[in-house]
Amino acid sequence: MTSAPVMTDTGARRRQKRFAVLQKWISRALARSLSCLIVPGPEVALAHGLDVTAAGLRITGTPRDAGVLLIVGDLPEKMTEAAAVLYAQMPRPRAILVLGGQIPSSLPDADAVADLSQEALTEATERLRRALAESAFAASTEDFDAAVLNARIEYVCPMHPEVVQDEPGSCPKCGMDLVARDAGDDSGAGDMIPEHGHDHEHHHDHEHHHGGAPGHSEHDHSGHDHAGHDNGGNEHSGHDHDAMGFMSMVEVTRDLPRSADGLAMDWIEVPFGPVFPGLPGGLKLTLTLDGDGVTEGRARTLVGMANGDDGNGQLKAETFVERLASATPLAPVSYRLLACLAIERAAGVEDDPATARARAGALERERIASHLGWLAQSGRQLGFAWLTDRASTLQLGIQNASQEKLIELEPALQALANRLGRTPLLKARLKGTGVLPAGSSGLRGPVAVAADEAGDAWARLWQRLAESTASLDVIKSTGELGLPALRNIGHASGIGEATVETPRGLAQLNLKLEHGRVKSYKLDTACSHHIGLVAELVEGRELGDALVAVGSLDLSPWEVLS
Amino acid sequence: MTLAIVLLALLASVWLLAVTEGWTTTGRLRPAAPLLSGLAHLGRESIVPRTPDRVFFETAPVLFLIVAVLGAAVLPLAPTLVIADLATGALFINAALAYVLVAVIMAGWGPNGAYAMIGGWRFLGQLIAYAMLIVMPITAVAMRAESLVTTVIVGSQGSLWNIVYQPLGFMLFFIAAMALAFRAPFDLPIAAGELGGGVDAEYTGVRLAVLRLARLTLVVTLASAITVFYLGGWHGPLLPPWAWSLIKTLAVAVSMLLVGRYLPRIREADLMRWCWTLGIPLALLNIIVVGVLVLVVP
Repeated sequence: MTSAPVMTDTGARRRQKRFAVLQKWISRALARSLSCLIVPGPEVALAHGLDVTAAGLRITGTPRDAGVLLIVGDLPEKMTEAAAVLYAQMPRPRAILVLGGQIPSSLPDADAVADLSQEALTEATERLRRALAESAFAASTEDFDAAVLNARIEYVCPMHPEVVQDEPGSCPKCGMDLVARDAGDDSGAGDMIPEHGHDHEHHHDHEHHHGGAPGHSEHDHSGHDHAGHDNGGNEHSGHDHDAMGFMSMVEVTRDLPRSADGLAMDWIEVPFGPVFPGLPGGLKLTLTLDGDGVTEGRARTLVGMANGDDGNGQLKAETFVERLASATPLAPVSYRLLACLAIERAAGVEDDPATARARAGALERERIASHLGWLAQSGRQLGFAWLTDRASTLQLGIQNASQEKLIELEPALQALANRLGRTPLLKARLKGTGVLPAGSSGLRGPVAVAADEAGDAWARLWQRLAESTASLDVIKSTGELGLPALRNIGHASGIGEATVETPRGLAQLNLKLEHGRVKSYKLDTACSHHIGLVAELVEGRELGDALVAVGSLDLSPWEVLS
Repeated sequence: MTLAIVLLALLASVWLLAVTEGWTTTGRLRPAAPLLSGLAHLGRESIVPRTPDRVFFETAPVLFLIVAVLGAAVLPLAPTLVIADLATGALFINAALAYVLVAVIMAGWGPNGAYAMIGGWRFLGQLIAYAMLIVMPITAVAMRAESLVTTVIVGSQGSLWNIVYQPLGFMLFFIAAMALAFRAPFDLPIAAGELGGGVDAEYTGVRLAVLRLARLTLVVTLASAITVFYLGGWHGPLLPPWAWSLIKTLAVAVSMLLVGRYLPRIREADLMRWCWTLGIPLALLNIIVVGVLVLVVP
């Protein structure tokens, strides 16, 4: 932390001297107004039954606005890198609160660790408050430096892309100043939120970026320098010609891609996610923007499941069930059921009608909770705070509710649906947005049924509400709800296949059992197919519409096979 | 003296507004929350992004605040309680509010980031759509009062408030004011679900505190403008004039804050389309109707 002139001295340090008297008060104020950024995302916290707001933390969607990094559950490798980048973007004093998971090695020690439960969260928040009130300034001034943040900078000639070197200088061929760019890092975490930048942790000064092309500050401003390693940066380097002399607009824009209206514009590649308000945590959406129109988009997951053998081959059947359930935090019951069914069939265990009914009830309960979670997420995306509050409250109430309790909640669900039908602007916002192209294949679940109607976000909303009502009807007839638990299979061997209609669509599991251990398996999920729809849905759309379209698919990045 | 009173009233309104906002979002009434949150912002690191346009980045929050206060300078709390009773008061408001756009664009450009910049340009893209709906209803208000002086405008509503005399103008002005203050559902430049904070995204610490204060002040200023132009300003029974002004202003400001909670964000294209194809013709109609009324009704 020495070479970045702006950031060497932290704001906290400077103020320590300036407001020595105020310091105590400021620390207390900091402790009283805590906002948190949830990794992987608020929807995962909700699915774990956590009410973060009730624990006294304000949920925010951006690292710049957050004082606490709240990590919920175990994070897959790529997500821990993303968490490190997010942490680096948070203003000091900042704290880390880890709930029920490993402390990621890429981050400094957690300030508080707790179990995955509401009481533990509340208690840990209090501890965090006390710690902050006492030592907000003392503890926070340590520098954070993680390997993932140190992008290597290389220098290239704008005219001759083959000229690349490690130090700044001028091009041996044409004499132009070389331009800095991040050297080939495609790990996914480094370029997550470009303008949130990995700024104050950066060991390189990028000033000369502007210096190279004084007449083109506009292009530099569009964010290329942050995402310089993507192809966009290279393509556009052509502008820098006119640092050498006059070029007409036609010449300057000659090699630029053309927009739909025929104008040559500066395109920028902007990442949305893996932690972005309104999008599921772990989904990394990269959009190429032409103004605020999307010319191209792609989505990938940072938290996806492995398919088939994950290296160590044989897992005990019980362990396999647990693994699958914990790998899918947004639909654990469905995947637990799927694993149980496949293993039991492989072992040749007879179906028991009572167990099957209890399991069906639990599955339907999860479906309602999941759809409510999606509504809360949509509320976050659409800036519809009432919807987020209402749907979250209902979801928390439903998650572990008994049959009677669920039936009592029926009027509340109905009221929510009625309210959404009457909400002004909602239909205008969703109708005609995210229309699936005719003949899209691989559709499942609510997305598939809605495709038979209008196939837009509005139809998907109503399909999910209708499914919730239908699920309640199923629950009325099932009797007691029972979480799927693996029945005794002994040391059986065999091949089993099962399908479960998860909240997001059909999932299929084929597995081979040997002496009570899962030898190999093959999984097929709805989200693996749906994520492929993103490119077509966003292309040519306005940014807001594109994001709503992606949101309406209810993708769970955890259920995408990688 | 007047200056101090008006500024104090403005600050008090902002504080009440912030308390109400916290109350509706968290469900807890915490009168100290705005002060604590302001103090907390002072304690936070004020990050400067990599390669910013330093002048724009630093100026934007301050300019925003100045604009909001400037607008309030010509709005009377009571017949004599106005900082500057300009002969061109109604026009001055317009001129002051025009700089909101400048501040937002600067905040969008300054940090050198994609989300912020798209937010800034979005706001610029909507400029004429909402700016016309600020100017045209004010025109009709000035026509009735036959003056641009804000105190005279309030005086002209002694018998009948403008909200009854020209309800169409009131609705258009209210909507345009919300779009200008980019309150939800018109929060396009700072949309969390679309731009991750947009023009606010890069501001932290004391700069963010100024930016938030400026946005709330702008809401109060606009609410005060609605009170003066449409709700009869200080007119009202029993209570002293300044109290009526404050009550009305706060009621309007709170309603501007609350409405967004129950609505999804408007589509950018829809806002533009409705403003142009519906709003501007309606504003013209309003001017014609008011013109006829002014001529026919003595």
